[in-house]
Amino acid sequence: MTSGHTTAVAAHGDNYLNHSKGIKSWLFTLDHKRIGVMYLFTVLSFFLLGGIFALLIRLELWGPGRNIMDAGTYNKFFTYHGAIMVFLVVIPLIPAAMGNFFIPMMLGAKDVAFPRLNLASYYIFVIGAVFALCALFFRGADTGWTFYTPYSIRTSTTVILVVGGAFIAGFSSILTGLNMIVTIHKLRAPGLSWTRLPLFVWAIYATSIIQVLATPVLAITLVLLICERLFQIGIFDPKLGGDAVLFQHFFWFYSHPAVYIMILPAMGIISEVMPVFSRKPIFGYKAIAYASFGIALIAFIVWGHHMFVSGQSELANFVFSLLTMFVAIPTGVKVFSWVATMYKGSIRFNVPMLYALGFLELFTIGGLTGVFLGTLAIDVHLTATYFIVAHFHYVMVGGTMMAFLAGLHYWFPKMSGRMYPEKQAVWAFICIIIGFNLTFFPQFILGAEGMPRRYWAYLPEFTNLNRLSTIGSWFLAVGFGWTAVYLWKSMFKGPKASANPWEGNTLEWQTPSPPPFENFTETPIVTMWPYEYRASKNYPMTTPVQGSGKGVQ
Amino acid sequence: MEQHPLQPKVKKHHHHIMPTKTALMIGGTLLFLTFVTVWVAGIDFGAWNFPIAMLVATVKASLVALFFMNLYYDSKENGVIFITSILFLAIFLTFTATDLFFRGDVYVKGSLAMAAPAGKSKFTKPWVSTPELIAHGKTIFLAQCTGCHGNEGKGDGAAAAALNPHPRNFTQQEGWKNGRKPSQIFKTLKEGIAGSAMASYATLPADDRWGLVHFVDSLGGPNAGDTNEDLVKVGVDPNKTESAEAPEEKTIPVEVAMKRMVEDGGYSEAKAGEESNVAPGNPELENYDKRLGRSFTPHL
Amino acid sequence: MSDVHTAVAGEHTRHHAHHFESAEAEFDACKQGMWIFLVTEVLMIGGLFVGYTLFRGMNHDAFHEAHKMLNVKLGATNTVVLITSSVTMLLGVTSAQRGQRSKSMKYLIMTFLLACCFLVVKYFEYSAKFHHGLLPGGNFTNEELTNPRSSLFFSFYFLMTGVHAFHVVVGMGLMAWLMKRTANKDFGPDYYTPVELVGFYWHFVDLVWIYLFPLLYLVG
Repeated sequence: MTSGHTTAVAAHGDNYLNHSKGIKSWLFTLDHKRIGVMYLFTVLSFFLLGGIFALLIRLELWGPGRNIMDAGTYNKFFTYHGAIMVFLVVIPLIPAAMGNFFIPMMLGAKDVAFPRLNLASYYIFVIGAVFALCALFFRGADTGWTFYTPYSIRTSTTVILVVGGAFIAGFSSILTGLNMIVTIHKLRAPGLSWTRLPLFVWAIYATSIIQVLATPVLAITLVLLICERLFQIGIFDPKLGGDAVLFQHFFWFYSHPAVYIMILPAMGIISEVMPVFSRKPIFGYKAIAYASFGIALIAFIVWGHHMFVSGQSELANFVFSLLTMFVAIPTGVKVFSWVATMYKGSIRFNVPMLYALGFLELFTIGGLTGVFLGTLAIDVHLTATYFIVAHFHYVMVGGTMMAFLAGLHYWFPKMSGRMYPEKQAVWAFICIIIGFNLTFFPQFILGAEGMPRRYWAYLPEFTNLNRLSTIGSWFLAVGFGWTAVYLWKSMFKGPKASANPWEGNTLEWQTPSPPPFENFTETPIVTMWPYEYRASKNYPMTTPVQGSGKGVQ
Repeated sequence: MEQHPLQPKVKKHHHHIMPTKTALMIGGTLLFLTFVTVWVAGIDFGAWNFPIAMLVATVKASLVALFFMNLYYDSKENGVIFITSILFLAIFLTFTATDLFFRGDVYVKGSLAMAAPAGKSKFTKPWVSTPELIAHGKTIFLAQCTGCHGNEGKGDGAAAAALNPHPRNFTQQEGWKNGRKPSQIFKTLKEGIAGSAMASYATLPADDRWGLVHFVDSLGGPNAGDTNEDLVKVGVDPNKTESAEAPEEKTIPVEVAMKRMVEDGGYSEAKAGEESNVAPGNPELENYDKRLGRSFTPHL
Repeated sequence: MSDVHTAVAGEHTRHHAHHFESAEAEFDACKQGMWIFLVTEVLMIGGLFVGYTLFRGMNHDAFHEAHKMLNVKLGATNTVVLITSSVTMLLGVTSAQRGQRSKSMKYLIMTFLLACCFLVVKYFEYSAKFHHGLLPGGNFTNEELTNPRSSLFFSFYFLMTGVHAFHVVVGMGLMAWLMKRTANKDFGPDYYTPVELVGFYWHFVDLVWIYLFPLLYLVG
């Protein structure tokens, strides 16, 4: 990098990595940065596991009939792929790992509001994950990650372990959200008013609100499901006078907002990366911030669009289809603002920016196909086909994973104190983009032609597109694996990073890389909003201002 | 050193400590309201019982939140946080109610006719005309058919003028779309006539339909009568005595479908030795659960 | 925001976590954390209330018939017990805030005993229901109630009161912890955050019961 060796202050001083030594100093740490790093590694190892299941699923779908496994195993594998990726990877990925590390730093705080609670939520997450994965050694689970009743009441697989694991992991999510809200309310540095908050903070704030409001409903839903299996309480069991579709309401009241738990932080990362690498102030700061809240609010009133063919009333279908269309408004506001940010900027095509552009393209495809699916009449045709699978992978992988990789490369110098190899990263990016589109674009076509999701076998006419998709999954695996390898290597051997390699304005760049034990040698005093980039010069948030004591904006 | 001028202002407020007297007064009010709500519940206000009880509970809950939990003296932030939770709960309830309380308008594919309880069929061999069947058919005709076909079956009911093609005049011999044999009339009742206002009446029990057939038949002249093949064509086994037909798939209300799932037992779990209920008809998947040596009963 | 600032900023002398600027700020943050936690409680228990309301709407007659099997006298007794315990908890908190340690201890013990009393009454209610076969869903064996949906009422009855009773038990554990810390002289006019926040939790448990009582026992 350009300024790689100029201000390697951190190399000599005390930082969070060398502050204390030994495995215990990590396992019992209360430092938000270390907890963030532990989350990162834990979540990424689950990503590896979920990815292996994905590869096996794709391999089974190489040909129309049986390829490598029988139908029962296939059902378990897609259930595991879904449950692991949703509950153990995408939900905690950005809020818990990146959020933990960077929210206090962006606020100029020494730590989160409740450090012990923070460590507790990490261990709760681990316990939940272990609980769920235990089921692998028993009879697994074959319900899909949605655990729909009445099948989930009757299947002989070990549903309770998986459901119990999701229940426990849910508390981790709740407590992280709680911690973040209080941290953002109470621990902002001097001068850091709400309208000077970086947009990543806004995004995590909106995310935390969803986590706090929606996850408890998942908890009670899963308790009810467990009671249903253990005590036959009958609430979701038509045989005992209950209502199986009610389970879907309970489930999606959490799980639709959960989709926005997955995407909002991703949007936050993009809002950080775009202005830094376009060297231009972000376009529509307030619009993006409020759009996060708009999305969070709308998240709670559209869940019924997952249930258009479940037998729910036509009134509900109509209402939910109508409301779903409103999601497009705040989402559109964000996408247009990012595009406008790039307009006439002096764009630097570093890897974080490449991933941000990848996000923009893939997320837009994912979002627009969501409009098709929200439309009642079209959804009836497309429900439970591969079109849905393609749609949410474009949003979850094309959106969240791309943004995560953008963030990972953007903040890697800060977290590790070292730079990643730019050239290799570009090639891995190309590999991932090609692999992703090759895997999931054919699935749009398959779905529109009527291939149902979650089936172990398919009609012979779908063979070619399925093969393309399977080949794509290998490209994806190579891309992700390659990224993991070069990041791991450069974590120890990469060239030392300067405090601010990207010339960013936000507070985390105004401290050495890696950051010292309590983040800042001196509490930063904020005088500026975070996006004061000019073609020739940028103004960090702590730029001293003469005279009035008031900052720009 | 003073607080930095740019620091967000931390409000310096004194913690409110509730005087013991106030605490006891509010406690007393709560107990009094408990008494009130029990007393009021003894009086029958009909539909108002529920709102009244909830109103009293809400007054009590507000007292607890405002004074015991200090919201009255606290910063607004915490109050807003708490209210939000109730707001979102209301969202949850309202939108779920738009489904559960409005289910009447949903239909699915399934068989409407409930399985006839064994031994309850009133007629043996209902495809053979008897005076009882004709009389039975007449009562149903008067209830179901006169609107279009008229009281005497002449195709001159109140709605007839508006219909194109006109409703059938049963006293005429010629021009019947499906023919005039009993089995052919039965077919019309079962399937309806495409392109006309004649809908399917498969929702009626088969006995009722046979009654209608014989009544309608009795309005016109003699006809050829049915052969066994004719009967088989409309799903009747001439050797049996009852009118059971293979259930047909129809568009039926969800409520009925759920009831059927429960009562017909297609829904109950397979026990050892029973037929598998996993994907019947697919040789790959048939008895899949049995081959794995497991049954569809809940386990941990 | 070093320790020097802190000493000047407030009249509090108590030590507080290093990442807060003052004890006051720490208290505010903890209180807000508690409120957010209560929000999650509202939504979790609220899920059951939503389910109850929906099923009551769909099976009104069955629920009305079934609710008559509950003992209003015992329910009302428990309401009185719980409200009284809320008052004693509040007095425990205010005594702690005023630095009257022994008084605070006394009120905490009273609250604890009232909570025990609540659970004892609940035990008698539960055993009566078990005895009459008034059990959730598939375990329902009572023959007095003819409506097949009556069992659903008892599913909700046991779930809602069960979740509530679980919270009572947790509350008792928290009170035992407070008693221990009060005995250790941890609390005084400068520092009483745990007492006040456990108080909030306990009032919340009371608040839930205030709705449960009429819903289950009175109007069905």
